[in-house]
Amino acid sequence: MRFREVWRTSTFRLSLLYGGLFTVGAVALLAMVYLRSAVYLTHRVDDILAAQAAAEMHAPPDRLKPILDEALAINGGNSVFALFGPDGARETGNLRSLPHGLEPGGRPVEMSATPDFPAAARLIAKRLPSGEILVVGRDINQLREIRRIIASALIWSGVFIILAGLAGGAAFSLGPIRRLRALQAAGHDIAAGDLKRRMPTSAHGDELDMFAGTVNYMLGEVERLMSEVKTSSETIAHDLRTPLTRARAQLHRLEQAPQVSSGEIARVTAELDEVLERFIAILRISELETRARSAGFAAVSLDRIVSQVGDLYQPLAEEADLRFQVVAPPTPPIEADGKLLVEAVSNLVDNAIKFTPAGGAVRLALEAGPAGPRIVVQDNGPGVPEGERTAVLQRFYRAERDRLTPGSGLGLSIVAAIVRLHRFRLSLQDAEPGLRVVIDCHAEPITT
Amino acid sequence: MNASVLPAAKDEPATRILVIEDDLDTAEEIAACLTASGFEAAKCFDGAEGLKTAMSQPFDAITLDRMLPGLDGLEVVRALREAGSEAPVLMVSALSDVDDRVDGLRAGGDDYLIKPFAPKELVARLEVLLRRHRRQQGADGGGVETRLQVADLELDLVKREAYRAGRTIELLPMEFQLLEFMMRNAGQLLTRRMIFESVWEYYFDPGTNLINVHVGKLRRKIDLPGLAPLIRTERGQGYMLNVV
Repeated sequence: MRFREVWRTSTFRLSLLYGGLFTVGAVALLAMVYLRSAVYLTHRVDDILAAQAAAEMHAPPDRLKPILDEALAINGGNSVFALFGPDGARETGNLRSLPHGLEPGGRPVEMSATPDFPAAARLIAKRLPSGEILVVGRDINQLREIRRIIASALIWSGVFIILAGLAGGAAFSLGPIRRLRALQAAGHDIAAGDLKRRMPTSAHGDELDMFAGTVNYMLGEVERLMSEVKTSSETIAHDLRTPLTRARAQLHRLEQAPQVSSGEIARVTAELDEVLERFIAILRISELETRARSAGFAAVSLDRIVSQVGDLYQPLAEEADLRFQVVAPPTPPIEADGKLLVEAVSNLVDNAIKFTPAGGAVRLALEAGPAGPRIVVQDNGPGVPEGERTAVLQRFYRAERDRLTPGSGLGLSIVAAIVRLHRFRLSLQDAEPGLRVVIDCHAEPITT
Repeated sequence: MNASVLPAAKDEPATRILVIEDDLDTAEEIAACLTASGFEAAKCFDGAEGLKTAMSQPFDAITLDRMLPGLDGLEVVRALREAGSEAPVLMVSALSDVDDRVDGLRAGGDDYLIKPFAPKELVARLEVLLRRHRRQQGADGGGVETRLQVADLELDLVKREAYRAGRTIELLPMEFQLLEFMMRNAGQLLTRRMIFESVWEYYFDPGTNLINVHVGKLRRKIDLPGLAPLIRTERGQGYMLNVV
């Protein structure tokens, strides 16, 4: 994993930015703590010094020296007491000379350690009525120590936050990079022709997973189409060869026959018509598949579509001696291509009528499904064996039972293409006995 | 066939059809079928030549392949209409989608036939177009048609009622429309697909049986026992409403 790669990830850059902002915030917080506590402690020292100086200034002049000496004896280790004459000569106390910059009555001054007083001290000076100068001071090593501790805490924590931010950012980026690597690897495999391969997804359901899911959905479609193209060429070739071979054989026979009846020619023509019919259906499926999804979409009422198809097929069902029940309760309109839905439902009803023996029943109904309206076409004919039910929905698939009946046999493929165009769902179920075909008229979202 | 309809009677000039089709065999086949049906056919094999021919000579109707080398069928029909030609145009195309049909009709085509087709179907559609065209030209200045009559079958378009030999026939709305279409094209071969497209206005393949059954139902109401049958089945092709 090269640094450049880590650097380019948006996770790393975000963590870095976040770490930077966090560092600025933390430093500002600590600086505030430092300033406030240092100022507070210094003020406290200054207040004590002022109080001490005031107390000593009010002492009777003759008592001052003994008081100072006593104070020195008790607190001389951490306090400064000194008295200088008006000329600056030392009279008593643990300071040899008046420190430079210390003005009587002026602001407190800090002094570093001297031979007289071995610690840093904060001093103030007051001029007595006698003209003498009184200096009081306190050891401020403790104060300086606290300041130092706070300052070092500030620096170290700043360094820590920056380092942790960098390391965390890099660590957070490694995960996505690894996953991207895996996605890339999967992509290369797929590009190399392994259409069964899918983009790896994790349990997080994060943005990468969402993306991988969309790609996988797309791959599913590609795989389905590829395998359909492969099998459909075979299916078409096989399906067309049979009637064409028959027509050819018949023509050959007619060629050698001394006399040709029009009935025989009609039979050849019928074979060829079947081929043409199948071609028309194949073209229709291709058209449906290349069509933009919402080209002809508008608000359509399913109940009207269902009853129109019902009216269209009622005579055919009567003729076939079937009970034909149409149920079309009013349903709110949906976005769809009405003409295509009529075509799909017609195909289903046509199939049901074709395959149900006389005396049977066909039911065309608009029902309320769990996610939206559904169109149900049910018969009590022989049905479709379970193993064949999914295959029947594939492109150009001709069910075994279709091979013996007239027509292109591609009706269900057309229905499947129309349903797919709408992103509705088509399913074949066992009606015990018979076939139940359901179109769930509820567009499925793309991501799955 | 009805004397007033197609093809032209012997003493009239022949009805001339221009076939614009780039596939030589298909063009030949269409022309042969047209000639056999009494038309005079001229052939053109690409769009530009077809347009030139259509503009320079009078034709009663044109069959136009949609996909042509050079100028495509849509452009040809558009140019023809812009030049003021009113000759009925039958578009022929391998594209069967409703959108393609709409494009073809919007460009100025009068009907749309999907490849592959039986030449008979093309001739039948052409005849329907010619008939409609002549009727429209004849109707200019005339009133709105309120009644159709074929032999002893009558259709009142205002009251939406049908009579056969003076007796009222009860018809469902769809049956009425079917009968109206057949009567308007009496003596004319009507294929199942033509019937489905004109009467129901759906453009998919309805299967062989569906239209048969609808026509059969209508026939049982019209051709009552004892009366001369009017609806004739043309085996493997479609139906015709007899004139006699």
